Amino acid sequence: MDTAKVLIVDDEEIVLDSCTEILRGEPCELATASDGARGLALIPEFHPDLVVVDLKMPGLSGFEVLERIHQTDPTIVTIVITGYATVASAVEAMKRGAYDFLPKPFTPDEFRLIIRRGVEKRSLVLETIALRRERELLRDHFASIVSHELKAPLAAIQQNVFSLERELAAVATEDQRGRLGRVKTRVGDLLQLIETWRRGVSIDVEAIKAQCAPVSISVPIEKAVDSLSVHATRKEVELVANVPDPAPMVWGDQGTLTQVLVNIMGNAIKYSRVGDRVTVSAQARDGKVLVSVSDTGVGISPEDLPLIFNAFYSAQPGAAGERGSGLGLAVSRRIVEAHGGTIAVQSTPGKGSTFVVTLPERTDDGPGSPPRETGPQTATPKEGRR
Amino acid sequence: MTEPKKQLLMIDDDPDFVAGIKAILDGAGYDVDVAYNPKDGFAKLKSKRYDLLLLDIMMGRGAEGVMMARKIRKEPALKEIPILIMTGIREQVAFMFPGQAVHPRFVPLDELVEKPVEPELLLEKVGALLKASEAREKQ
Repeated sequence: MDTAKVLIVDDEEIVLDSCTEILRGEPCELATASDGARGLALIPEFHPDLVVVDLKMPGLSGFEVLERIHQTDPTIVTIVITGYATVASAVEAMKRGAYDFLPKPFTPDEFRLIIRRGVEKRSLVLETIALRRERELLRDHFASIVSHELKAPLAAIQQNVFSLERELAAVATEDQRGRLGRVKTRVGDLLQLIETWRRGVSIDVEAIKAQCAPVSISVPIEKAVDSLSVHATRKEVELVANVPDPAPMVWGDQGTLTQVLVNIMGNAIKYSRVGDRVTVSAQARDGKVLVSVSDTGVGISPEDLPLIFNAFYSAQPGAAGERGSGLGLAVSRRIVEAHGGTIAVQSTPGKGSTFVVTLPERTDDGPGSPPRETGPQTATPKEGRR
Repeated sequence: MTEPKKQLLMIDDDPDFVAGIKAILDGAGYDVDVAYNPKDGFAKLKSKRYDLLLLDIMMGRGAEGVMMARKIRKEPALKEIPILIMTGIREQVAFMFPGQAVHPRFVPLDELVEKPVEPELLLEKVGALLKASEAREKQ
């Protein structure tokens, strides 16, 4: 940071004057305000890096000023001046997000030092934000570049397998045709894997947030049940949906939520044996909607449990020997987190597993506002069976 | 009397991919010329009348196929040629034309297939485009 912008808010003119005098010659641009309201009014035009606030002022208290600054821009570094050098008020200020405190009276050196440290802190904060943004961008670019570089040669290979298969159809032996067919399958799987990976790593968190709207949780559940029912029937696994009517509303993106449920329920079916049951249910609790997927399948061993949300981690093959890409749960977690939700799992080997996705309940003004009163639950659960 | 062979031009910078496509089209009785970059491709288009163009999107330093298609659209002599766009990254094409369907309309007759493309699908798309083009000419 070349020149740091420092705003000092204090009701005592003598303090403002002496602080201005002390900072003369320091690489910073200074603004002063004689009370909280004036100080806050200056922030949008002055864009301070650092704000020094006296805790005890007439009008808006220093605590209120701190709070409002952190609400407007949490990256602004704040330092409090405490007239009555009580540890309690300094600790309170730091609890509310102040970076440091300076008890009155202070020497010019103490003031210069604390300002320098504050400015340094601000540079670090900004640098971290910039790096984080760069990392996101790089990840997206990296994903599309890598997937293109990997897919292009595979597409050339596969295109020739396609044409060779056709050209040799009349002359190849059955064994040769079989091997050509397996080459085709393996290359096709690889292309599919690259595409899944690219979709997984380049999940656009901002795009998901922008897509969010009030959605009844029954919609993605029903869609996921629909798309998996054939698979479940084929494996002779019972698929049960248990959603109250009316179903709780969430603040979410229907498409990606369905993807999450298909992943989790698909896994549950995969790790179930003939005659097992997979139950998906939803309920609202404390401003959150909990969607749980329980199975009576093979369960997850305690060693595997902490790793299952990692990319490319695929535990033992499914009950019928199926293998996954090891991406479904990693992708699901990213999607759920983009919704401001969490995903958790409990499992007992041999008995089955339960995955719980927790999402913010829908409120009329979007996420973050207090949950609406749901009232007594008189509705009877709707048993859907497929 | 047999009909004259349809003249196809393929523009794609990956010779191996081209070989895989050309073999299928040759086998189905088409005459296929090839250009490995947009510049040669454009020169070929101007030097001879083609019935259909197979165009790669991601060539050179980015989506040069898209620029190629835009150039063709501006040429009155060329803009009636049907184009089969071939791309490895479907979303990328949608990304270049925000707000449009995944399949962008470059010229009156165009279709999009993803790489690699199954022979049956390739021949079906090529056949349909040629047929639609003939129908347009008769009007």
